[in-house]
Amino acid sequence: MIGLSIIFFSAIIILFTGIQKPEKKSKNLTVFSLLVAALFSLFENLEVINTQTLFAWVPSSMLDFNNFRLSMVALVLFLSAIIIGLMPSSEKKGSDLLGLTLFALCGGIIMLGSNHLVMLFLGIEILSIPLYVLAGSDKKNLFANEAAIKYFLMGAFSTAIFLLGCAFIYGGTGTLIFGEMQLKVGFAAHFGEFPILIKLGVILMSVGMLFKISAVPFHFWSPDVYEGSPNRVTSFMAIIVKICGFVAFAQLMSNFEPMHSWYIKWLIPISGITILLGNIAGMVQKSVKRTLAYSSIAHAGYLILFLLIPYAENAQILFVYSLSYGLSTSVMFYLIDKYSTADNFDFTIFKGIFNSNKLDAMALILAVLSLAGIPATIGFTAKYVLFSKAFEYNQWAVVIGLVGSAISIVYYFKPFKYAFVNENLLTNRESSLLQIFYLYWRCYLL
Amino acid sequence: MEIILCPLVIALLKALLGNKINKWIMSVLSIATLGLVIKVYFEQVVALNSGVWQTVFDKPWFSDSIRFTLGFDGVTYLLLLLTSILTPIVISSVSYNRHKFIIPLILVMQSALNGVFMAKDGLMFYILWELALIPIYFITLLYSHKDAYITTIRFFIFTFLGSLAMLASLIYLYLKTGSTSFSYEALINIQLSLKEAILVGGGFLLAFAVKIPLVPFHIWQADTYTNAPAQGSMMLSGVMLKMALYGLIRWYMPLCGESISYFQPAIMVMAVFGVVYGAIIALKQNDMKRLIAYSSLSHVGLITAGLFSLTLSGFEGGMLQMFTHGINVVGLFFVIEIIEYHYKSRDLSQLGGLAKHHKLFTILYFVVVLGSLAAPLTNGFPGELMLLKSIFDYNSLTGIVAGLTIILCAVYMLRMFQLSMLGESEIVMNKIDTVKLMPLFIISAIVVYIGLNPQSLIDVIHPSIQHIMEDIANSKGVLS
Repeated sequence: MIGLSIIFFSAIIILFTGIQKPEKKSKNLTVFSLLVAALFSLFENLEVINTQTLFAWVPSSMLDFNNFRLSMVALVLFLSAIIIGLMPSSEKKGSDLLGLTLFALCGGIIMLGSNHLVMLFLGIEILSIPLYVLAGSDKKNLFANEAAIKYFLMGAFSTAIFLLGCAFIYGGTGTLIFGEMQLKVGFAAHFGEFPILIKLGVILMSVGMLFKISAVPFHFWSPDVYEGSPNRVTSFMAIIVKICGFVAFAQLMSNFEPMHSWYIKWLIPISGITILLGNIAGMVQKSVKRTLAYSSIAHAGYLILFLLIPYAENAQILFVYSLSYGLSTSVMFYLIDKYSTADNFDFTIFKGIFNSNKLDAMALILAVLSLAGIPATIGFTAKYVLFSKAFEYNQWAVVIGLVGSAISIVYYFKPFKYAFVNENLLTNRESSLLQIFYLYWRCYLL
Repeated sequence: MEIILCPLVIALLKALLGNKINKWIMSVLSIATLGLVIKVYFEQVVALNSGVWQTVFDKPWFSDSIRFTLGFDGVTYLLLLLTSILTPIVISSVSYNRHKFIIPLILVMQSALNGVFMAKDGLMFYILWELALIPIYFITLLYSHKDAYITTIRFFIFTFLGSLAMLASLIYLYLKTGSTSFSYEALINIQLSLKEAILVGGGFLLAFAVKIPLVPFHIWQADTYTNAPAQGSMMLSGVMLKMALYGLIRWYMPLCGESISYFQPAIMVMAVFGVVYGAIIALKQNDMKRLIAYSSLSHVGLITAGLFSLTLSGFEGGMLQMFTHGINVVGLFFVIEIIEYHYKSRDLSQLGGLAKHHKLFTILYFVVVLGSLAAPLTNGFPGELMLLKSIFDYNSLTGIVAGLTIILCAVYMLRMFQLSMLGESEIVMNKIDTVKLMPLFIISAIVVYIGLNPQSLIDVIHPSIQHIMEDIANSKGVLS
């Protein structure tokens, strides 16, 4: 809760003090406020500070930050700090973009803490609307414009479907509060048959959420949008939106746990198709950004496997998985941003990186190994805990996940094809201090 | 523990000092690991006679259920010995212009391999198994030709897919223990139904069959060996294949013993087919590295068939042959590296008449060739004899077919020797340093010593093999 307030107020400050100032001037303040907010959320989680009296006026049926949610909030804030801190900010654009990013983040945090369907919906909207603007923030770029329009249309469409689902749920259970909903579904479970309204509502809400995390068959917008948007916005979408969206989805579904055996019947095929299609389509891409878009689709498939596991058991592994995915993907986007040029997003951008910049090459190797889930990186730990838990509930889904991981090697390892080429085409680009800190994080061995 | 850490420390030293430290010093330094292995052996020598897999190190790793446990017994000792003898030799063969990264990678790989041979915890075994794959991937990627990327990635995906199947099997077994332990003792005590054993064992077998490799899974092998730098081929064929064979004995058979009789005929056919198939293809090869790749396919096929005959002589012969095959194949790749370095070619149709230039080299080369083709009084002979005997015991037909290897192996090995060394010389000569032949001299000495005294190795592994066979028998007995 305190993290949300800090981010909200600093967003307002940055938005208004930063008018007509270039982005660069507000960057430090943004990163600072993000880190402070992350720190305070962590303190709140560890009960170093007590904020209950301060926020007593917030009804817990609306927003409730329990331990797991607080640690997710801290993680999301930390990852955003990394994304904004690592990516260079331009001289030309205004600070309002950073303010908008922080507002979007507020939406994400509300999604994480929501205990009420209306709050969840509000969170989704607050997260999405600034992102529609941000996706098109590169006004001169035609692809960015296309991405913005596409993202806006798809987002609006999926939100409408989600709302329709909420309406059905309200019709079926007579409440919008998560806790009461859970009770009603529990009652229905006693009578054996679930009302058709609830079933329809769950399906429609899932479709809306699956749009947000870009799972197959609702993924088709994401490669274009990811490719067209500016790099920072893309990494924000690929990491923050996906993590917040999925955690909110998992929390939502946890209310319908008595229907578990029913909804995994259609979620397992979706997960399997997402993993396979994301990985197979990723193999044939030429552009690095598109490849990462498909990689993030595949990761959405792995994330859905979490729904096989009862909600009470998966909190810790969800955290580890999000951490691993967020760290590795943000490094990849950082490297892409550093080495790509306006018209070249080919894998050849990594040519000679091993000779020109050892530190970047190490970061690349670690990020790739971690994304691919090779042992002794955090990516393996995350995948291992996920698979070994999900294995108890459905073996075949995990087998598909394993096959998908093997396929993903084909495209994850593509940068290596160029990284060690002995041509010193690139000038030596220096690495920032932040990145060294970052590498230290990535080296977190098991 | 120090056996795993020692190579890492040396690798770090090289990575930090860079060009200031040359390969001969590295080579000598890496002998330290051999010293440590022998030291642990003498510490444990009494306990080893019982054949039980001694625990020498044990610490919780992730949580209490996944531990960092190291074991030590005769089988482990033999393979550690092999790894730590070969690593200095491999390092000494590195040519001057490329030693900066390859030596640390080789040492990291050695450390992971040592870990694999000692791992007494299922997940740790898997993690180190994968870790051994990363350095070899980078060795082949960094130092092979430009077009070899596809080969490398194919090799990596093949093995990775196999190991993922093994991971699935391990997780299944872990859940069977009630999610309490990955330890070897816990996994070995699990009782599986036949169907479970077939699925779980299939996962293990896929991982091992890709790496051994057995015939339908071998298509990565020849290209990878040919494109990789000589050091990569040495590490791959000398030690890495042994990892899979070791996995068969130590992990697959005792853990999923129920499924052995189900898979046995198929594996036998695949292995024996591989023996003949590899040998026949090797007959026609002109590229020396490719020839050795196929001969290696043939040899490991024989070892696999021997192991799956489930007899004492099969196991002991298999272990012995694992050791000698490692020594011989590294010797042969070493010879090829020298020839290629000095004559800029390894094509048999261009070589010839090298014997005139350097007598000592010719003699050492011939000793290694004799060891490979299993001439009596060389190290190849006792192992191969025991293996053929056990395969013959299993089924006389497979025995006869596998026995063809004696003739075929002699034909292609001697053909290689003849075409490269004898005849008229047309190639411009480059002088070979005698110092460079030191490692080859050591290899030849081992070839002859084991050929004369194979019992010294068999004595070491005998109690452990017997203990493992008891485990397998227990595991099989659950069904009946």
